[in-house]
Amino acid sequence: MKIDIKLSALQAGLASSKKSNGWHSIEARNLNVFYGDFLAVKDVNLNVERQKITAIIGPSGCGKSTVIRAFNRMNDLVPIARTEGEVLFHGQNIYAEEVDPVEVRKRIGMVFQKPNPFPKSIYENIAWGARINGFKGHRADLDDLVESTLKSAALWDEVKDKLNQSGLSLSGGQQQRLCIARTIAIKPDIILMDEPCSALDPISTLKIEELMRDLSVDYTIIIVTHNMQQAARVSDFTAFFTLDELRAGFLMEYGPTNRIFMNPKEKVTEDYITGRFG
Amino acid sequence: MTISPRETLDTALQELLDDILFMSSMVEEAINMSVQALKRRDIEASKQIFADDQKINEKHFQIENQGILLIATQQPMARDLRMLAATLEIATELERIGDYAKGIAKINIMMGNEPLVKPLIDIPRMAEVSLGMLHRAMGAFVAGDVDIARKIPKEDDLIDALYNQVYRELLTYMIADTSTIDRANYLLWVAHNLERMADRVTNICERTIYMVTGEMMEMDQTYDEWK
Amino acid sequence: MSANPQRDEFGNAQSGQTEATNRFIFIPNLTSRHRRGRIWAIVFLASTIVGVIALTALIVTILNDSFGYAAIQFTVQPETLAPGEKTLEQMTCPELASLLEENISPNRFRQIQSEKPFSERTQRECYELVITEVAKPKAVETWPLFYSLQYRHELALYVEQKYPGSELVFRSWISKDFISSHQSSDPLLAGLRTAILGSLFVIAIVIVVAFPVGIAAAIYLEEYATQSWINRVIQTNINNLAGVPSIIYGMLGLAFFVRALEPLTSGTIFGATVSTTANGRTILSAGLTLALLILPVIIINSQEAIRAVPSSLREASYGMGATKWQTVWYHVLPNALPGILTGAILSVSRAFGETAPLVVVGASTFITYDPGNIFSKFTTIPIQIYQWTSRPQDAFRNIAGAAIIILLVLLLTLNATAILLRTRFSRRLI
Repeated sequence: MKIDIKLSALQAGLASSKKSNGWHSIEARNLNVFYGDFLAVKDVNLNVERQKITAIIGPSGCGKSTVIRAFNRMNDLVPIARTEGEVLFHGQNIYAEEVDPVEVRKRIGMVFQKPNPFPKSIYENIAWGARINGFKGHRADLDDLVESTLKSAALWDEVKDKLNQSGLSLSGGQQQRLCIARTIAIKPDIILMDEPCSALDPISTLKIEELMRDLSVDYTIIIVTHNMQQAARVSDFTAFFTLDELRAGFLMEYGPTNRIFMNPKEKVTEDYITGRFG
Repeated sequence: MTISPRETLDTALQELLDDILFMSSMVEEAINMSVQALKRRDIEASKQIFADDQKINEKHFQIENQGILLIATQQPMARDLRMLAATLEIATELERIGDYAKGIAKINIMMGNEPLVKPLIDIPRMAEVSLGMLHRAMGAFVAGDVDIARKIPKEDDLIDALYNQVYRELLTYMIADTSTIDRANYLLWVAHNLERMADRVTNICERTIYMVTGEMMEMDQTYDEWK
Repeated sequence: MSANPQRDEFGNAQSGQTEATNRFIFIPNLTSRHRRGRIWAIVFLASTIVGVIALTALIVTILNDSFGYAAIQFTVQPETLAPGEKTLEQMTCPELASLLEENISPNRFRQIQSEKPFSERTQRECYELVITEVAKPKAVETWPLFYSLQYRHELALYVEQKYPGSELVFRSWISKDFISSHQSSDPLLAGLRTAILGSLFVIAIVIVVAFPVGIAAAIYLEEYATQSWINRVIQTNINNLAGVPSIIYGMLGLAFFVRALEPLTSGTIFGATVSTTANGRTILSAGLTLALLILPVIIINSQEAIRAVPSSLREASYGMGATKWQTVWYHVLPNALPGILTGAILSVSRAFGETAPLVVVGASTFITYDPGNIFSKFTTIPIQIYQWTSRPQDAFRNIAGAAIIILLVLLLTLNATAILLRTRFSRRLI
């Protein structure tokens, strides 16, 4: 099964930079995000390692969601949002003039906090994304895509007999896995997850954490979470964001998860991790 | 009234520190008493110390259980977790030192009515220095004082010197009069226990430094120093 | 604060605040709170009952007028008109035509001829013409339903006394004839057919024009328009237009569709005029006017429905790498469709019952033939009702009542369609 993709600036950039820039799949350089006049996120410089899980933690309002949404240009949908600086995806700045945000979002997928499957059948949830992104193939190929995707998302056994039922008829944890499935169906490079488990029960949460581990073999995963134990359990790298006096969010500390949680360099980080923040 | 976000954990950790300080004082008392009893040849006192070791072991288990419970229920991180891990390790070290005290008491009992090979001078001196080291090390642990914790292991040199002195002296006695070999050996054991106690105190200082800085440092003598 | 709470003999923690909170006094006032609640419940129930009474009164009045006894009297007995062998109903159209010519004024005959030549009229139409113009049955007096049922015997005696030679007939003013007959100056023969067809034609134009334009405008305003001041002005204007009285739209329709666009609306451009006196007062003008009338409401309602689509759905779509158009077409519209349809069909129901603007635009008050195409003259049910209620004879009130019932039935059908479509579409989503 092949997915036919139009060649674009982004694609060309990817082809050339895979040789040069091997380790970092996405880099933020001097990223600033404004909502109107308010500076929400300040001077972010962050290199995300390829095929690893990176967690973004921090107190509420510190811009975690803003940062992760800047990685796939979802902030463009907010009229008053303004982004300065660069986000390099395999070496190519996704905020450059000639880059189409629609294509960025195909390469960098997103899973949201509240599971939001389409009000269509389970099959259609996955097939629709494939189709609008130019899937070429017969019905049988599409069936294969749906099956392999649902298997990768650890959902196939639970839904294989009811592919025509609505996606909304599943439980919360299943819905979120369906959302993950439809995201990986179009073969992105990076999966962004904005607090994917905060609306789920503990068992579903743990299942999805295990799923993340499996997926990180093929995909780079960036997860925003306010659950520190989850970040400690699941991630390879952790970025800690906090607020300055003007309530702008900035990156305080970034490093391997083991170090951040056992022996962080900054006192502010340690206060947050030990729960003595504020 | 404000609520600190980790008040339960803070209170529990404070109680744990109190417990380990108490255990430390139990152990100091045991070592002191055992050496004094040896000096005075007080068998009854030694029997009491032997029995009291049970209390030290119970205290050790209590601290251990409490520590593991805190890990399960409070999920401590970073500094809190390091302190907790250090506390559990130190409790084990203290329990070992308690065993040394019990060993000394046992030797006193075993020697029975036989007189000492020689009047005890260096051995009590060793005990005094070790006890001082232990006391200050526990103080440094509770206060989180890295500088003091770094300095204390250096006093181990003094203990080693005293041990060597005791060793040579007792060796002389053993060579001179073979009937003293048993009793001299016993005394050598006592000195050995006290020397080991100083090593344990060094471990306690390592744990203190780990708790504060997050780095494990071996502070034993290097091979070159030893030569 | 509560790290070491005081405990009572059962081990239950005591709040340290007991001393402090005893300061505050709570007077239980459950009875008065419940009573107040009950009073409000009664007020709401009373309002509902008032509404129910009003509705019942409306229905009863209509029913009252639509059925009842009527005393029928012929000016000239139909039997006397028919020549020997045949009865009047059996005569052919040309025969009836000549009979007519004999009995009425030449002017009147020419008028009838010009409205629709006899050669084009059916036999039934010719018969009715003869009855109307020559025999002239009159309902000399009619009585409402409840009165008729109550005083049956008294009425029989009364009619025999006052109107000898006349019949007392129990009449349901709603009948198949009523629906299929044309207008007539005789209430006994008048029917709603022209008006029904006219209403349906007009509403068809309204739907074809207002739905696509309104829904498309709503999509643009909600999904594509930026927050610039121009768009805010447009939005404000649309909101205001929704509240403009309908007769203003009538005047707009008159000036613009009827007069200014006369070549278009009268059909002369297309050469599709129906009668020789073509002008802009056609079904097309009426339909366009009413479409303009309900357009702001459709836009506002559709905007609401589109706005109600949760943003999580849009985000999910964009997150999959969809363009704005793909998001709107595959997700926003299907999700908003039940709401859009409900509102749109309710607007159409309103347009169905509009009278004032159509009077201004020039609905004919008396036409007796079916509208041929959208360029013909027309009348609608509400206008017909209005026209009939202003006539002096009793019987016209009866047939006005019958027409109201027909109108209500059509409106209920429309609303039922709305509910049906809405449930069908929302079931597809779940």
